[in-house]
Amino acid sequence: MTPNPLAAKSISEKLPDWKDQFYLLVDDFQGMRQLLRESLRNLGARFVDQAGSGGEAITMLQQTRYDVVLCDFNLGNGKNGQQVLEEAKVRELVRPTTVWIVVSAEKGVESVMGAAEYQPDAYLIKPITEEVLLSRLNRAWQRKQVFKQIDVAYHEKDYLKAAKLCDVRADANKVHALDLLRMRAQLLLRCGEDAQAREVYERVLAVRDFIWAKAGLAKIKMKAGEYLVARDMFREVISENRYYIDAYDQLAETYQHMGQFDEAAKILEAAAKLSPNSVLRQRTLGELALKLGSTLQAEKAFRKCLVISEFSIHKNPDAHLGLARVCGIKNEPKEAMLLLAAVQKEFHSEQVRLRAKITEGMVFHESGDYIRARKSGDELGELLALTKDRPAPAICLDMARLMFAVGVKEPPVILLTEMIRNNHDNELMLQEVQEIFEKARMGEEGACIIAASRKEASDLMNRGVLLWKTGKLTEAVEWMRNARKQLPTNLRVLFNCAQIMISFMQKHGYDAVMADEVKDVLLHVDRIQPGQKRFAQLMEMLAELAALSNT
Amino acid sequence: MMDVLDDQPEEHESPELFLFLASTAHDMKNSISVLCGTLEHLLVDGSVKTAAAYPQMAHMLYETKRLNNNLIQLLALYKEVGKPAYPFDPNTQLMADFVDTVRAQNKVLLASKNITFEVDVDPDADWYFDEDLIVGVVGHAINNAVHYTMDKIRLEIRLHDALLEIRVEDNGRGYPQAMLDSGNAAMSSDNQGVSFATNSTGLGLYFSSEVAKMHKNRGRVGSVHLENGGVLGGGCFVLRLP
Repeated sequence: MTPNPLAAKSISEKLPDWKDQFYLLVDDFQGMRQLLRESLRNLGARFVDQAGSGGEAITMLQQTRYDVVLCDFNLGNGKNGQQVLEEAKVRELVRPTTVWIVVSAEKGVESVMGAAEYQPDAYLIKPITEEVLLSRLNRAWQRKQVFKQIDVAYHEKDYLKAAKLCDVRADANKVHALDLLRMRAQLLLRCGEDAQAREVYERVLAVRDFIWAKAGLAKIKMKAGEYLVARDMFREVISENRYYIDAYDQLAETYQHMGQFDEAAKILEAAAKLSPNSVLRQRTLGELALKLGSTLQAEKAFRKCLVISEFSIHKNPDAHLGLARVCGIKNEPKEAMLLLAAVQKEFHSEQVRLRAKITEGMVFHESGDYIRARKSGDELGELLALTKDRPAPAICLDMARLMFAVGVKEPPVILLTEMIRNNHDNELMLQEVQEIFEKARMGEEGACIIAASRKEASDLMNRGVLLWKTGKLTEAVEWMRNARKQLPTNLRVLFNCAQIMISFMQKHGYDAVMADEVKDVLLHVDRIQPGQKRFAQLMEMLAELAALSNT
Repeated sequence: MMDVLDDQPEEHESPELFLFLASTAHDMKNSISVLCGTLEHLLVDGSVKTAAAYPQMAHMLYETKRLNNNLIQLLALYKEVGKPAYPFDPNTQLMADFVDTVRAQNKVLLASKNITFEVDVDPDADWYFDEDLIVGVVGHAINNAVHYTMDKIRLEIRLHDALLEIRVEDNGRGYPQAMLDSGNAAMSSDNQGVSFATNSTGLGLYFSSEVAKMHKNRGRVGSVHLENGGVLGGGCFVLRLP
């Protein structure tokens, strides 16, 4: 084989020997597979496997660790190329070093604004010549080298370290500098460091009108509660590039904060027209439509959601549950019950059982079947006593409202008490809880419960902090372990628990078991409420402790 | 109030028809891709190079590439009236990489037609644009130049007045007046001057000018235009990006 001039010219770092790599070609069109295989053979490749469908690709990815995957976006029936990529990443069927290239006949809107975690390393548009393939392979590989350590830090959820690495790399790497700064700003937002993120966006905007930087600034305004300013900025971004789908989603969120649900739904519908295959967007649209009473639109969105998530690793029960609500409103309770049975068969978890039961109660309540609604309410109370698993706070509040509405007395009080204890410093939620009590004609009783539960939670926390501040670290750790068990979703308790354990290790030395415990606590917090400053800071402290113990 | 979304077209056709058209187009693109690839493989094969049919095969590649370019444009334009259109995805491009990609896509065709390809560019310079779209536009211009040139095509890229100027020039007899006119008409705001019926070049220029106009910065917009002359004295396709 003659050496390729392209490969020789653009080497700045040592490129891998493409001859020795393991390749997987995924395309439903056999002619295309043959052609690509021939191209790879001409580049010297010896190990080339092929898959004709998404399912087959997953099977092969389970058996072999490939270095390069060339996957068509459009794979006929079943999973599409993006879904194969997402599943491979979530299930860790590929190495972090694997170069993943999406091949397609034409460029899709999704390629502009996919979720960063599930972006391929490169897109290739057909027709593909050998030379283009090689130059893209080289480029993708070089890019991977630049992002390697950042990806590792991101994977470890040490976002502050990842953000710092972006800055260091950006200074040394002209071609990827903008990508690195963009990622740095996103990471800083993820860490709650909005001021620093704004600084990055303003710095790049001084050079050029980068649309992503404008959208980033708008997002910061939204987070700060300046909704009118954010709204106008997002609208400007969209009028400049109507394919910048992320801005539509953010604009819709801004409208939701402003209470303008109809505007939010309109924007999401426009976004869904451009990019119809986002499960999350269709679900939000469905839920908004339900809120607005547009049953038809809600049904359409939830049905679409079911179709597009059928082969996705991100499949979730929300669309089934939403659709069941739609059936209830349309006075088709039988249809709704079938959906609820199906969702519980498909997703085995306590949470789904709880959520199916609330939806069942709502459907009966809405259709005027008060006897069955009451029965659902009683069963919900029993389920709640059986499990500690709880859905998101908004759903728990709905659950309490429903139980009161159908005449169940004690379980909703227990549930609300639990919620106050776990959110004792969240004024907005406490207000909502008070309103629920008032609506159930328990205003005075409710106020007492709120005051007592708040005090209980803050005493529990303060005692731990006091032990810590007075240097009784061992006792403080024990106390916080216990507090965490009692208040499993209280963010301040969880943060303090992690903080105290980290101080313990700073004083008494690194302990792998305790470090895992801290990590569990922090990841749990991040799932409940992502994007918090303290999360990022504590994750960084923990990683530094671990690194120190290794030296 | 909803001015930002005013250009959202309504759905005219049935979803079934759209799905049928989309999957047929997808299928056609696949076939053309394979055809292109197979021809390229054949044309670099030593045994074929000496065959009597070599010039005809080279011409087949030229026509196949034309077919592919037209199909890309049709897909993009068809979607423009009714469906999600081509996404715009600009990024920082190093000129060395950009030229490599353009060269890689056209190498076999140019070699098979015995056309010399000259490049005049600062490889370390960079600019901000949608690589796939611009590679497509320049590739289309090169394919056009293959038709008009004697034996030379020149790609020149330089920074000029805060615009990136990409020129595709040839040493043929130059563009006929009608094409120069339609080139300028394509840039006019209403596009009424473009006659799609007369020739497909009008369509190509229309597509190129749409792509150019997507590129904006600080109040300036990209443009295309045609002229005669340049370094080689033939036709020149000029793309300017802010």
